[in-house]
Amino acid sequence: MAMERPTEARGAGSPPVLTESVPNRRLGMGRVLRLSGTGIGLILLIGIFGALRPTVFLTVGNFVNILEQISILAIIAAVQTVVMVVGDLDMSVGSTASLGGALTAVLLMAGWSIPAAMLVALFVGALIGALNGLLVSYVKLSAFIATLASMTAVTGLAFIVTNGANIFGFTPDFKPLGQGRFLSVPVPVYIAVAVSLLIWALLRFTTIGRRWRAVGGNAEVARLSGIRVDRVRFIAFVIAGLGASLAGIILVSRLASATAQAGDSQMMLSIAAVFLGMTMSSYGGANIGGTLVGVAILGVLTNGLNIVGVNTYVQQVLTGGIIIAAVALSRLGSRRR
Amino acid sequence: MDELLAPEPAQREGEPMLRARSISKHFDGVFAVRSADLSLWRGEIHALLGENGAGKSTLVKILTGVYAPDEGTIELEGEQLEFRNVIEAQRAGIVALYQELSIVPNLSVAENILMGEKMPATAGLVSWGKLFTIAGDHLEVLNQRIPLRRLAQDLSPVQQTMVSVARALAFDARVLILDEPTASLTNLEIVDLFRTLRHLRDKGVAIVYVSHRLEEVFELCDRATIMRNGQIIATELVTDLTIDMVISKMVGRNSDEIFPPRRSHSDEVVVEIESLSGRKVQGASLKVRRGEILGVGGLGGSGRSELLRLISGAQRAQSGVVRMAGKDVTPRSVTHGLDAGIAMVPEERRSQGVILEQSIRENVILSNLRLVSTGGLVRDARVRSLANRGMADLQIHARGTSQKVGELSGGNQQKVVLAKFLARRPKLLLLDEPTRGIDVGTKAEIYSLIQELAEAGAAVLVVSSELPELLGLCHRIILLHQGRLAGEVAAEVATEEQLLTYCYGRTI
Repeated sequence: MAMERPTEARGAGSPPVLTESVPNRRLGMGRVLRLSGTGIGLILLIGIFGALRPTVFLTVGNFVNILEQISILAIIAAVQTVVMVVGDLDMSVGSTASLGGALTAVLLMAGWSIPAAMLVALFVGALIGALNGLLVSYVKLSAFIATLASMTAVTGLAFIVTNGANIFGFTPDFKPLGQGRFLSVPVPVYIAVAVSLLIWALLRFTTIGRRWRAVGGNAEVARLSGIRVDRVRFIAFVIAGLGASLAGIILVSRLASATAQAGDSQMMLSIAAVFLGMTMSSYGGANIGGTLVGVAILGVLTNGLNIVGVNTYVQQVLTGGIIIAAVALSRLGSRRR
Repeated sequence: MDELLAPEPAQREGEPMLRARSISKHFDGVFAVRSADLSLWRGEIHALLGENGAGKSTLVKILTGVYAPDEGTIELEGEQLEFRNVIEAQRAGIVALYQELSIVPNLSVAENILMGEKMPATAGLVSWGKLFTIAGDHLEVLNQRIPLRRLAQDLSPVQQTMVSVARALAFDARVLILDEPTASLTNLEIVDLFRTLRHLRDKGVAIVYVSHRLEEVFELCDRATIMRNGQIIATELVTDLTIDMVISKMVGRNSDEIFPPRRSHSDEVVVEIESLSGRKVQGASLKVRRGEILGVGGLGGSGRSELLRLISGAQRAQSGVVRMAGKDVTPRSVTHGLDAGIAMVPEERRSQGVILEQSIRENVILSNLRLVSTGGLVRDARVRSLANRGMADLQIHARGTSQKVGELSGGNQQKVVLAKFLARRPKLLLLDEPTRGIDVGTKAEIYSLIQELAEAGAAVLVVSSELPELLGLCHRIILLHQGRLAGEVAAEVATEEQLLTYCYGRTI
């Protein structure tokens, strides 16, 4: 009893309550390094390739080239970001891009107008997204299983549509979408920037963006707060399908040809880009700025390794290694204590 | 006894098993624990009490090697020890069981008990026969009959706790620390747990028991150490304490201030529930009046939480009607419920109430997106003002509205949940265990808040497993037994015994 200390007044004017077990989070050196590690990695890559091949790599022409090469991935990665903000994953974006492109190609060859062909392809992309959303939100399949299955089915559809052939010889009017330039910057770059800005704005300024983030943060909390979780996830998948199809259409225009698997490789790369970007956010979540840095890393890496003359198989190994290194480093950095 | 109480209260003869001397730990210049002295004796159950933020968890984490102390020493059986991590503390015999039990759900009971260094194996191959024998022995010590081959995920919460305790025994725990072990247990299960803990105490284990449930402390513990603001205020024999004394030491004021005086309510019926049925709840009918605080009691699994979920729309009712002002508003989803003016603060704060990794601001707007937006566009200014108002109205202690909710104390997290729903100005507020795991000071604030809301015209339903809370806070209490209404009492004249009788369906 003698140890009883004078009582403190509580409420207004009292000292702030100690939050035990929660040390103040300061912007320490480790934290800065972790958050900017991926960005530093990008600069480092540019530095290395610049040092190795200054005359070829470090030119405006080559940078425009890189931008052009990554613009299609940027679109797919941007919509993949939305799905991953919600806490899901879309494995079908690559094959949806392939199908979207193939469908446009076939319709153009059949004499359809460009807008009509594109609209149909976009609609089908949205439909695939809706199917994914339906399976995940309402049938309650895991996103991994649902989109893995739809990936397989959509690839089949793309082969059916193209009859397994390489389609080319479109009307010249279709060329500018993928190959045109405006102010000496390729058109796909503008589209990628527009899509990224749109997704950024959706995530940052709109109620659906907040709902996505809430569902990704904790779906049960979101539901009990009155958010229609199923609808919110459904919309994310529709956007992914739509974006993937758009990217596929641009890809066909850029390559001036369409095959059933043209966009397939974009799926893994888009997920890798989002993961790389997640290392740049303080809460470890998917975010559009980080995704774009991730896309840039993958683009610079491919371009640089090509210029240095590393063969494509070795390139794949290196790309995989770098993704692991980046994500692993950020995990190490975020370890407690 | 006189000698025991002076000058160091509740001291025993000889050397303690564990002695922590002048332990200090600070984070960023703020002391979480300050010059704390704690002695544990062989064969005692020692309560560690204090409000959230008093420093209990930090002290426990220092004893178990999670944190290294800035100052101070730890001696175990006279030997000074420094732990670099949890495993070293475990090897020394100090084991903590946390609220989130350290159980691997998809492994068997036996594997859970011996997982890690104690797994009997030859050349990397598990010796299954030995595994089951040894694990069985440990459970036997606890007098527990839990099938060794059953998966941990299929166990009841109390059985899972028992498996954790058995695991601690397998690691030769001499000091066992339990943090709120009864939070998810029913009363019968608690009896079982206590029997086991007493048994361990008699075998010479020193047990540290961290809990907010003071009744349990008085039933179970031998001594109690009370902390406030990082310092140890007192260590006393429990027999020398009363609940009121403990509370006043914890908060620095008297306990009768916890429950605000009851106020009258109007006779106007706001909510009428007619034969509502779900999975457990069968044909529940009740009326709540304007300004009334209606308590809902019952044992765990009696359907008391489900009743709230059915009313709020979190779970679809199989049949029945919810009427407000004569209109059928039976909600099909939480969204519908909120639109009708029904809000529910869910039972599990951390998994259902708040998004831990997101800011106060982001959490508070979850139910209020329409309020802070125009045409689908979120207005930052409105978000800020909504969050600031919530912080101010509910006195949330935080660095600012952009602080992550996971960094706040339990009481402040609960205030964030309340702020989120109160911004909807609900006419019917459903509260499921509104003060579970919350310190006494914040409890009092929440009680006053509930009463203010009622006085402002809301009808309130409170589910609580703490009977004193129902008696102190509510006007009227209904009791559920196996999904059916078993009784109704006026809180002012009711006793805990009476409530318990109804809880057990009048059979006891």
